[in-house]
Amino acid sequence: MKELLRRIFLVDLIKGLKLTFSYQRPSATYTEQYPLERPPVAERYRGAPRLNNNPETGETLCIACNLCSLACPENLIVVGWERTEDRRKKLTTFTYDLSRCMFCGLCEDACPVDALELTQDFEIAEYSREGMIWDRKTLEEGPEPSRYTR
Amino acid sequence: MATIRILIVFAVLSGLVAYLVYLERKVLAFMQARLGPMRVGPWGLLQPIADGLKLLLKEDIVPSGADKALFLLAPVISVLAAFTVFAVIPYANNFLITDVNIGLLLILGISSLGIYGIILGGWSSNSHYPLLGALRSSAQLVSYEVAAGIALVGVLLISNSLSMVHIVERQQQTGLWNVFVQPVGFFVYLVAAVAETNRAPFDLPEAESELTAGFHTEYSGFRFALYFLAEYTNMVLVSCIAVTLFFGGWLRPFASVRWLDFLNYGPVAGLIGAGIFVLWLGWKARDTGERGFFKFLGVALIVLGVLVAYPPVLAAVQGIFWFTAKMLLFLYAFIWYRGTFPRYRYDQLMNVGWRWLIPLALANLIATALVLYFISPHAGLGSG
Repeated sequence: MKELLRRIFLVDLIKGLKLTFSYQRPSATYTEQYPLERPPVAERYRGAPRLNNNPETGETLCIACNLCSLACPENLIVVGWERTEDRRKKLTTFTYDLSRCMFCGLCEDACPVDALELTQDFEIAEYSREGMIWDRKTLEEGPEPSRYTR
Repeated sequence: MATIRILIVFAVLSGLVAYLVYLERKVLAFMQARLGPMRVGPWGLLQPIADGLKLLLKEDIVPSGADKALFLLAPVISVLAAFTVFAVIPYANNFLITDVNIGLLLILGISSLGIYGIILGGWSSNSHYPLLGALRSSAQLVSYEVAAGIALVGVLLISNSLSMVHIVERQQQTGLWNVFVQPVGFFVYLVAAVAETNRAPFDLPEAESELTAGFHTEYSGFRFALYFLAEYTNMVLVSCIAVTLFFGGWLRPFASVRWLDFLNYGPVAGLIGAGIFVLWLGWKARDTGERGFFKFLGVALIVLGVLVAYPPVLAAVQGIFWFTAKMLLFLYAFIWYRGTFPRYRYDQLMNVGWRWLIPLALANLIATALVLYFISPHAGLGSG
């Protein structure tokens, strides 16, 4: 009897209508308008590499020890240096071939001075293979994807 | 004078249909936790214009082996049948194109012609999917037309007239909308109307998963746009008929209750409410151009609302406001059903039509006739 009444008064259909109606509240919207708003990524996400500078002096933190290059399983880091008069190593060039990188983070772990770091930047697409090979300047300044505002 | 009114109705209707598509995409999107069109204009408001432009500029393809004359004619029939009927809809007591004493009969007759557009279009395409879609469509329309027609006869018995204006005036006299007298008739008409406009959950003639696009698979460009226009115009049409016949047309809710006279200020409240909503959107927008646009629109709506509060203007827009508001509720319900119900299987569709709706409509008709006969033999069936 109860079942019959349910069917006659279309209870199930009305329940469905109620559900879809409730989904119209703005807070239920799941879409994220990507180029206009960027999603937060996980804290330990490993993205674009960066060479850190000393924030006070602006000089590079890198001591050209070459440990990152040795740690890299893909051998994609090339560190160039020269000796100063007091026999210290000074960083000249630093290339990082992002096209071969698998973002394992071993270079970051190997770095004794926290100079090389994988950041949370994920917009690292380029128009050419050559563009994927980052030099010291790109590594220090970071990629520059076009920014949009909502 | 009539020409001007026809032009106004045609222009408003075309705009309404274009923005109905926008509304449908938005509402469906919100029901599915999406945002819908957002990129063309603020909140995608220019999307219908972009869509229309795209369809107009596309190539008009006629498949080889198609019956060319019929293929070109079919969408025109659909659109003509859909638009013609609006001549006899009373939008308000002070705004209607014409009042015919066979109004409802005319509506049923001409809107039934619209199915020729679908059948001919499907048949002349010389393709399998359109043919199947047209077959389904004709079977579906024939079965549901019967139920809808019988459901409407109940209203005719009560109001003793086929003229749309008389039907509304009758509801004004009795002070009771027909939906409260004929709830079963209204229910049957509502279901049949959804089926007749080929809308979900009865959208078998254009079931995407089975028939690609159904009867208009082979149509492209402008002719496809015509079919689209006809389908949405038909939605507006059945909403108009439902409002006129069951929901008191241009009458405000509780038109005969004096202490609810403040409802006469509905148009003012509606416009100012819409203005505040738009202002809120503008306040939330981050883009400066968008913010300016919404603020301008919101202020314009509020100013319009204040202007409408002037008594002669208020009296003039009263009817059209309530008619439009009720019709928009119906259109929203159409979209709501589409967002909620899954499509029927074909045998289920026929089952609902023949085994439930038609007997229900017949029972409702007989009950109405009997009650009318016993209450007042002279006013009801007897002398007429």
